[in-house]
Amino acid sequence: MGNEFVLMISAAIFCTGTVGFLIRKNPLVMFMSLELMLNSVNFLLVGYSSFLKSLDGQIFALIVMAVAAAEVVVGLAILLTIFRTRHDLNVDHLDTLKG
Amino acid sequence: MFAYAWLILLFPMLGFIGLSCYGERVPRNLVGPAGCATVGLSFLVTLLALGDLLLLDPGQRLGHVHSLYPWIVSGNFKLDVAILIDPLSVFMLMVVTGVGFLIHVYSIGYMEKDPRLPTFFAYMNLFIFAMALLVLAADFFFLIVGWALVGLASYLLIGFWSERTSAVLAARKAFVMNVIGDVGMVFAAFVIFEAFGTLDYVEVFAAAPGKFLANDDTVLLITLLLLVGAFAKSAQIPLHTWLPDAMEGPTPVSALIHAATMVTAGVYLVARCHVLYDLAPYTMFLVAAVGILTAVFAGSMAMVQNDIKRIIAYSTMSQLGYMFLAVGIGVYGLGMFHLMTHAFFKALLFLGAGSVIHALGDEQDIRKMGGLRLAMPLTFYTFLIGALALSGFPLTSGFFSKEAIVAHSWYSENSNIVFWAIAVFTVGMTGFYSFRLFFRTFLGDLRSPDAHPHEAPWVMAGVLVVLAFFALFAGFAAPLVEAFLAPVFGGEAAPIPEDHLLESIGIVAGLGGILTAGALFITGKDRLAFAVELFAPIYDLLYRKYYVDELYDALIVRPTRATAAFIWRKVEKDRIDCVVDGVGAGVREASHELSLWQSGKVRTYALNMIVGVVLILLFVVFM
Repeated sequence: MGNEFVLMISAAIFCTGTVGFLIRKNPLVMFMSLELMLNSVNFLLVGYSSFLKSLDGQIFALIVMAVAAAEVVVGLAILLTIFRTRHDLNVDHLDTLKG
Repeated sequence: MFAYAWLILLFPMLGFIGLSCYGERVPRNLVGPAGCATVGLSFLVTLLALGDLLLLDPGQRLGHVHSLYPWIVSGNFKLDVAILIDPLSVFMLMVVTGVGFLIHVYSIGYMEKDPRLPTFFAYMNLFIFAMALLVLAADFFFLIVGWALVGLASYLLIGFWSERTSAVLAARKAFVMNVIGDVGMVFAAFVIFEAFGTLDYVEVFAAAPGKFLANDDTVLLITLLLLVGAFAKSAQIPLHTWLPDAMEGPTPVSALIHAATMVTAGVYLVARCHVLYDLAPYTMFLVAAVGILTAVFAGSMAMVQNDIKRIIAYSTMSQLGYMFLAVGIGVYGLGMFHLMTHAFFKALLFLGAGSVIHALGDEQDIRKMGGLRLAMPLTFYTFLIGALALSGFPLTSGFFSKEAIVAHSWYSENSNIVFWAIAVFTVGMTGFYSFRLFFRTFLGDLRSPDAHPHEAPWVMAGVLVVLAFFALFAGFAAPLVEAFLAPVFGGEAAPIPEDHLLESIGIVAGLGGILTAGALFITGKDRLAFAVELFAPIYDLLYRKYYVDELYDALIVRPTRATAAFIWRKVEKDRIDCVVDGVGAGVREASHELSLWQSGKVRTYALNMIVGVVLILLFVVFM
């Protein structure tokens, strides 16, 4: 496996995540897209770690996963609260911060 | 060696801070004693300084500057936070803290029922601090700081009963007049710095005689500018109109600030800068002339007023006129001595008037008083002593100080016969108005039937007795005071020959005034009516205070108001407001447009972000 392959896979996953984030209105799916983006970067980190024979990339990947998990926990908690108060999870309706 | 003198400033400052921050939480009956204690401690420290000063040789008592730290060092300008201890400042402090302490004690009784008692004592302490700073300052800078602070304290205390419109207006008037004086002082300091390169008293006064000839333009300018401050603070013509109105404040305030201490600051200033004034005989002549004019002018107004406190206020102006006459003809020691005796008997009169007002339930019109002799014997006797001392009755304190000034105005080479004649005439008027007040208040029948006068409580009465003692006997300290102050003024004033004729003329003038008052106000109502009729035009002129207030109103207040209104309508509204409002409206419009970006939709934000990142990437890659 050359590193072009790693780069292409990673870019493909990242684009999927980005597009998914932009076109979906369900926040759960948006979270999943976000995870895709993060994991595409993880994939890149791990791939290059093995390519460069260095462990730094893998350590970064672990940290990113931990942060992503923590962030999802907070995000889901917020979503739960929003759902309880508004019975509606369409992100386009959540625009109370409009200027 | 006088480092402890800082405590004189520290105690009232602590009192002010403590009472204004925590006064509401302290039990009410402790507020007064706390306020008095700080001033009392200052007085004790002053006594200590006096003792230390007396232990030194007379020649070594001058110029003890104690500086805490250099405050401003900029180029060749250097300013220390410093105080100056010499006989003059200690003498003045004795009056300020001593009489101040007594008046604080009196206030415990007088202000007992006032809901804002802690505020009152906080302001009073602030005043004592400011006055002590003014007196202790070792340079013109801190002199001006103290000078402005006493103006502030005076403003706060005149307007203390802020629910009365008249009190607020009076406070404002006093403040404006005082600020005119402050401006004069500040300009004087500029000129002094320009001429001497320093503001330090010791350096300025040491350099002045070698630097200038008599009546040099610069010295004249400095002394005249300082005089603006002195005249404003001491209510001399033409800046006198605020003092009678200042009687709107509580009576202890009138006694402390507008009789005993603050208004004498002008006299102190001239005495303090006597080196400069000695170099400016023209200014000296002006000081003496304005002093004696104010004396006769205020004395004449005092003869016809009906408000008990206003009469004493005009009398204060008149006595300040005597002090200016004294310093103007070069007998500084006498001026300071009259300042001291005046502080005693005038504080006594004010506090006596206060206890009368207190007893009659805030009645101040002497036409409604009378017959208080039986109801308030103690106030009666002490007030009598005060009135006698004010009229210069032989062997009271006022006699020694005032008669000496009158005699010097005959003999001094800076004086002339006109000054003397007016001074003697004013002695007669003084006797008349003090005893008109006295007879009207204490003799005859009580003229307001529903009043139930009662003697003052012991805190107030005790203070009256102490002050009466000093008003009677302080005169015998004349030689001591003269000798104590002599080093400051470069030796004692030239002695004048004993002249019994001259002395008798003064005494007769004073007694004549008293007897005239007696003839008009004890017996004959017809005579009074006849006299009023005879002097009707003058009476009216005097009663309306020579129309000075009206004159100032027409010449200064109204034109200023009209100009201000014109500028407000034409310039402010049409020009400046247009620009200012325009800027505001423009910003509001632009922000409205910008705020449309803030859609609140998460996905729009995300799209913006991604587009932005992509643009940046393209820029980085291809540029």
